[in-house]
Amino acid sequence: MKKLLAVLLTALFVLSMVSAVAEQTTLTMWCIATESDANRPAYEAAIAEYEAAHPDVKIEWEAFENQSYKTKIKAAMADPDSLPDIFFTWAGAFLGDFVDMGNVYCLDDIYPNFADSLPEVMTQNASYGGKKYGVPLTMNIVTLFANMDLLAEAGWDHVPETYEDLTACCDALVAAGITPFGCAGKETWCVTEYLEPIMEKTIGYEALNEVFAGRATWNDEGIAASVSTFQDMINGGYFDPNGMALGNDEVKANFIAGKYAFYQNGSWNCGEVNDAEGNFQVALFPVMDAEKATYGQVIGGPSDTLAVSASSANAELAANAAMELGKSICHYGYLAGSGLPAWTPDYDTSEVKPLVAAVADIVANADGMVLFGDTAMSADAANTYLDYVGQVYGGDVDGAAFIEGLAADLQ
Amino acid sequence: MKRPLSYKLSILAFLLPGLLLFIGVLIAPIIMSGYYSFFNWGGPGKVAEFIGFRNYSELFTSGSIKFMRALGNSLLLALFSVGIQLPLALLLALKLGQKIRGERAFLSIYFMPVLISTVVIGQLWLKIYNPDYGVLNMGLRSLGLDSWAQIWLGDKKTALWACFVPILWQYVGYHMLLMYAGVKGVPPELREAAMIDGCTESQVNRYIVIPYIKPILRVSVIFAVTGSLKSFDLIYVLTNGGPNHATEVPSTLMISMLFLRNRYGMGSTIAVMLILLCFAFALLINLAFKEDK
Repeated sequence: MKKLLAVLLTALFVLSMVSAVAEQTTLTMWCIATESDANRPAYEAAIAEYEAAHPDVKIEWEAFENQSYKTKIKAAMADPDSLPDIFFTWAGAFLGDFVDMGNVYCLDDIYPNFADSLPEVMTQNASYGGKKYGVPLTMNIVTLFANMDLLAEAGWDHVPETYEDLTACCDALVAAGITPFGCAGKETWCVTEYLEPIMEKTIGYEALNEVFAGRATWNDEGIAASVSTFQDMINGGYFDPNGMALGNDEVKANFIAGKYAFYQNGSWNCGEVNDAEGNFQVALFPVMDAEKATYGQVIGGPSDTLAVSASSANAELAANAAMELGKSICHYGYLAGSGLPAWTPDYDTSEVKPLVAAVADIVANADGMVLFGDTAMSADAANTYLDYVGQVYGGDVDGAAFIEGLAADLQ
Repeated sequence: MKRPLSYKLSILAFLLPGLLLFIGVLIAPIIMSGYYSFFNWGGPGKVAEFIGFRNYSELFTSGSIKFMRALGNSLLLALFSVGIQLPLALLLALKLGQKIRGERAFLSIYFMPVLISTVVIGQLWLKIYNPDYGVLNMGLRSLGLDSWAQIWLGDKKTALWACFVPILWQYVGYHMLLMYAGVKGVPPELREAAMIDGCTESQVNRYIVIPYIKPILRVSVIFAVTGSLKSFDLIYVLTNGGPNHATEVPSTLMISMLFLRNRYGMGSTIAVMLILLCFAFALLINLAFKEDK
């Protein structure tokens, strides 16, 4: 009798386990939070928190390297059934192309549940035809990171705020045997992180916004001058020549290891740089033309986004999950220093890292903002633009050829 | 009594599954690519506009697509494959075919790169070529040849050659194995007769073995040339066509058009051009070997 009871109880236990597993819904997710990505810990914490709060839902997620992910997600759009339930994307025209294809689930019905903590303005870059299609994670700007220890070796105790000072500082660094800048030529978006702030500080944020939106011509002398400035810096020996063959992770590692004095990239790197050994500061690229631009004009905005696949069998559940995950990733990302909050913080922010706080201060006092060029433009235009940017870095085209080529190919 | 297989319907019934698979997997996609190549199409969900042969004319005339450069790079790779890779594979096959000591071990060693994932090989060579800590530059510097150290994959002058080396290296073993099988298939009595007549080993190879394995050499040449035209994986991992298109090949260009620029019509045009070129070269090589008979 005891044996029978034991068998029955075991069977009951196993059945209850099986039914519990059977009831669990699995949501798939793709993102770019690879092991080396600054956002990785925020994703891990957010997913663990979501799964703990929703034991009936399991998030199966995969992370891909930034550049290759752009190819992967676009390829998957050709076959919507191959898409995960939730996917990372960039706002602006990048997501807009997917919305046009009809592959993205509209979040209008679910947004009111989160409207208290997600300001309407933060959803604008991922809204098309008045409808919301993306959950913003963090907002970021292009930031000039400076290694103050290396600057001190060249006799500088502050980050230069004028272009004349910057060139003088770079000359002093070169004379001291220190490479001023590192830029990953293998990933062209990293080159735009240098060129776009120079363009903005030369022609002003309003004019650059018009050019990126296709409402003004690329054939602008100011843009040609920006390209010349950038190439003068390269030819002046301010950039590590090896950078042409390196990816962003390698260049960032070199900067953190003290190989370069400056590294200009997204503010999502704040946490990593903040935690590295050394004395680092954040700043913006100096003004080139004071009549058209101010120091407080920045490149960036809420771009990192989660979207839900329209073909998802659990689209409504996935939409809820995307919202909750987006809020948590923003929370943990902000505290970890991988971005500024797109969601209104409802938690203690006194522990925010100093470099993140400094960038938050820059954004709070920003005079104007231009969304990243390759995000603002449609896929074909963005890649034509990136192609020309790559040619600028490689010295294949000068300023005149850059503006004439883009004007001819894009407008 | 009639044999069942002599009935045409029976033959068709047996052929049908394979035929359907062949049409569905190979023929239909080629026809669809040809069809899409006549459209300006931004991808699923977008309206396709019929533009006739405009994609084809743009392919050869556009300064921003740079198809001719990509094709030139592939043809250069084909030239090096036939001129360096195949002779090297033939030399190894002939040597191993002479029943040398450790024949099996050498066979495995030379064939090993073919078995390793291309992505792994790509990562391996990325480390070898790294300008800072790569074994190539470090070796040159340790020999006092600092000026020879280069940014191998980042410099337009060296990137293409730096990509060719691992591609050629990886497939030497593959061609060697094909040729080795041919060498082993040479009847021993032919060899022995030639030796009795006083031929040296190299004369046996030249007048007996190589003519005997000509059909295999033809296959190897076709594989090397069409493989070069279709080359993609190692270049994608090493440079992704950069810097500034210096290592672009038609396949990387096609991926860029399809999945980065959403130009499905142009991507299909490149696919059609690749198919036509592969067929054309396969026919030409067959003709060249036929003339030799």
